[in-house]
Amino acid sequence: MRTNYRVNSGTRFHVFSKDQLEQLFWDTLHILEYTGLDVHHEEAREILKKAGAWVDGIRVRLPSYMVRKALSMAPRSFTLWARDGDPKKNIHIGPGRAYFGPGPTCPNFIDPYTLERRPYVKGDAELVAKVVDALPNIDFCESLGSISDVHVDLSALYEFAYMFPNTSKPIVAWSFRWDDSEAIHKIAITEAGGQEAFERRPNYVHYCEPVSPLVSTFEALDKLIFAARHRVPLVFTPCPIAGATAPCTLAGLIAQAAAESWMGLTLAQTIAPGLPFFMGGVTSILDMQTMIFSYGAPELALAECGLTELAHYAGIPLWNTGGCTDSKTLDEQAAIEGSFSVMAAALCGGDLTHDVGYTESAMTGSLFQLCMMDEAIGWSRRVTRGIEVNEETLAVEVIKSVGPNGHYLRHPHTRKFFKTEFWYPTLCDRHNYEEWSAAGSLPMRERVIAKVREILETHTPPPIKKETRDVIEKVLADAEARVKSTDTKKK
Amino acid sequence: MSKILEQLATAIIEGDIDNTPKLVQKALDEGLEPLSILNDGMVMGMNEVGRRFKAGEMFVPEVLMSAEAMQAGLKILRPLLVSSGAKLLGKVIMATVQGDLHDIGKNLVGMMCEGAGFEVIDLGFDVPAERIVQAVKEHKPDIVGLSALLTTTMRQMAYTIKALEEAGLRDKVKVMVGGAPVDAEFAKKIGADGYGSNAAAGAELAKKLVGAA
Ligand code: B12
Repeated sequence: MRTNYRVNSGTRFHVFSKDQLEQLFWDTLHILEYTGLDVHHEEAREILKKAGAWVDGIRVRLPSYMVRKALSMAPRSFTLWARDGDPKKNIHIGPGRAYFGPGPTCPNFIDPYTLERRPYVKGDAELVAKVVDALPNIDFCESLGSISDVHVDLSALYEFAYMFPNTSKPIVAWSFRWDDSEAIHKIAITEAGGQEAFERRPNYVHYCEPVSPLVSTFEALDKLIFAARHRVPLVFTPCPIAGATAPCTLAGLIAQAAAESWMGLTLAQTIAPGLPFFMGGVTSILDMQTMIFSYGAPELALAECGLTELAHYAGIPLWNTGGCTDSKTLDEQAAIEGSFSVMAAALCGGDLTHDVGYTESAMTGSLFQLCMMDEAIGWSRRVTRGIEVNEETLAVEVIKSVGPNGHYLRHPHTRKFFKTEFWYPTLCDRHNYEEWSAAGSLPMRERVIAKVREILETHTPPPIKKETRDVIEKVLADAEARVKSTDTKKK
Repeated sequence: MSKILEQLATAIIEGDIDNTPKLVQKALDEGLEPLSILNDGMVMGMNEVGRRFKAGEMFVPEVLMSAEAMQAGLKILRPLLVSSGAKLLGKVIMATVQGDLHDIGKNLVGMMCEGAGFEVIDLGFDVPAERIVQAVKEHKPDIVGLSALLTTTMRQMAYTIKALEEAGLRDKVKVMVGGAPVDAEFAKKIGADGYGSNAAAGAELAKKLVGAA
């Protein structure tokens, strides 16, 4: 019998010690208690005040017990459901799991056929959703762009309306305000079978962003209140820029990001106890030479890992960032930066890692980057699965039976394990030189492009219900009428 | 170059906020002309800062310290220059347009303009066109710098330029625009006088717009 034996069931990786986490945790609470945040939403201030916050004008300070209570109410583990109930597409948030997906709202898009960088247009949201639906290591959907050829106030709604029928994977939606939030919600609950069915099996998440440093804007909180009242799981994600809108030091960056997130958390849990809530942040640096907010910096990956550990220490999941790059094109830089941050996210178990497929520091969405990162995520997932150690995998008896000078090729042990123990690439080429040149000497870039086009031409996503299709048509028509009437009023 | 002017240039390069005004005072006490103190001392230093920044030898926080030192020195020199009738670089109003909360880029442009010797008035972010018009009436700037980071707020730049036209102020100021999604073509389309792709380019552009570079 084995005794007193400790097992690592995955590859271990830690940024912080327990002492450091404790210090980060309590110092974050200190920031919330003694400095507080400006909260630009009257109703939010009232709700928080009633729950025990100290309110001076727009400044809101949270006594630490409030935040700890909110943290204890928010779940560490819950499921985001595929709209068609496909169990392979459900996302089970919880310890030791990491999921990946694209990011939102880039102004530009790499056209999958002309390869040009051009404005993101209507049809692109469908393409992105389709590719997300097909790629095995991409788990949730965002659009990689904001639609430029619809009325500006409706781009978020159109995005959702075009993505929803084209993937059954859970979607992370954003919106401008209450009215488009409402329209998006209507689509999702129709497919789920009503509000109550949705509450039991939420099929999308709502995303909002406060402003760093230390500001909860009206828009972010209004959307948060909408989501909380309709029990839509929430992502609340600041974007602090080390050296510009946050301390230059990564520990301070992490603490400020956590403080900004936990103001949202406290409000959300006060309104809707137990609401699934992802704290956030895109935590990176201002490059002090180019003045770019970097999506390829090692500090991004490292700070995200640190923030993930803090989130998990506090008992809630993290909205992580990775698979993105500062490169302008599908090249070696894009591969290096994207893969390393994907690997870091997989290692730390950052729960939902977004921005996979961002290029040019979040200015241009790319299906090619997304597709290449699908491979990097597969690779990383093999590493994080770790090495199982038991009598069978240690194979002392197998080694004995094969003995010196034998081989394992036909051994039942090999047949039993070769599929699960090894990872099989779909883009990385392992053929020998002759085979590779006979197949056209294609570099990675060409293989990625071909795979994206093949998905676009062959993949059919699971359909949505007829009534959902009708609702989509209706909410879009209503929204068009709404903006038309406000536009004429303005004139 | 006299020793004091050399020291002054060095103080600017090193971003020495304490020493720069002291050296300016000393130079005045030694009888140097204000315009010479500015152009042969401080601006020389700032030009070197610009060169080093472009070459990757200096970094943003260091450049901003130099800009601050420049302003600290100008505080003493500006009234003297004005009364002597010397032509100053002038005033820049900076604003992130209505509906847009991204302000770090706008702040950087403002600070780099200060480094170039401009006086900068920062109206903040989410600034409606009417407030910009109001500020132009009040401060009579030479340049208005507009920043937008969202494709949805870029149109506010066009509205602002129109509002300046309607208020009869358009020919009194130059308008420069910038921000991640903005480009030169867009700037031309909305009738701006120039576009800068980053903060340093913004400061260069500002100098060009007032005929100083
Ligand atoms: C940080 C950030 C935020 C922060 C801003 C906080 C703050 N205090 O500024 C927060 C989190 C609040 C935020 C919010 C949002 N953001 Co934002 N944000 C960014 C991000 C990541 C970095 C911007 C930045 O600060 N860069 C660093 C600075 C130094 O660079 P810069 O601003 O470009 O300025 C430089 C130049 O452009 C130039 N410049 C700038 N202004 C001017 C002016 C003149 C006159 C001149 C000459 C030059 C010049 O000089 C500067 C220095 O070199 C960008 C991505 C990106 N690559 O830009 C997205 C980005 C701009 N955001 C975006 C979006 C969509 C949003 C939101 C709508 C998010 C949402 N989905 O809910 C909200 C909108 C809020 C609002 N109403 O404004 C999109 C815009 C896409 C689009 N279609 O337009 C981007 C591109 C990211 C993305 N792919 O989603 N964001």
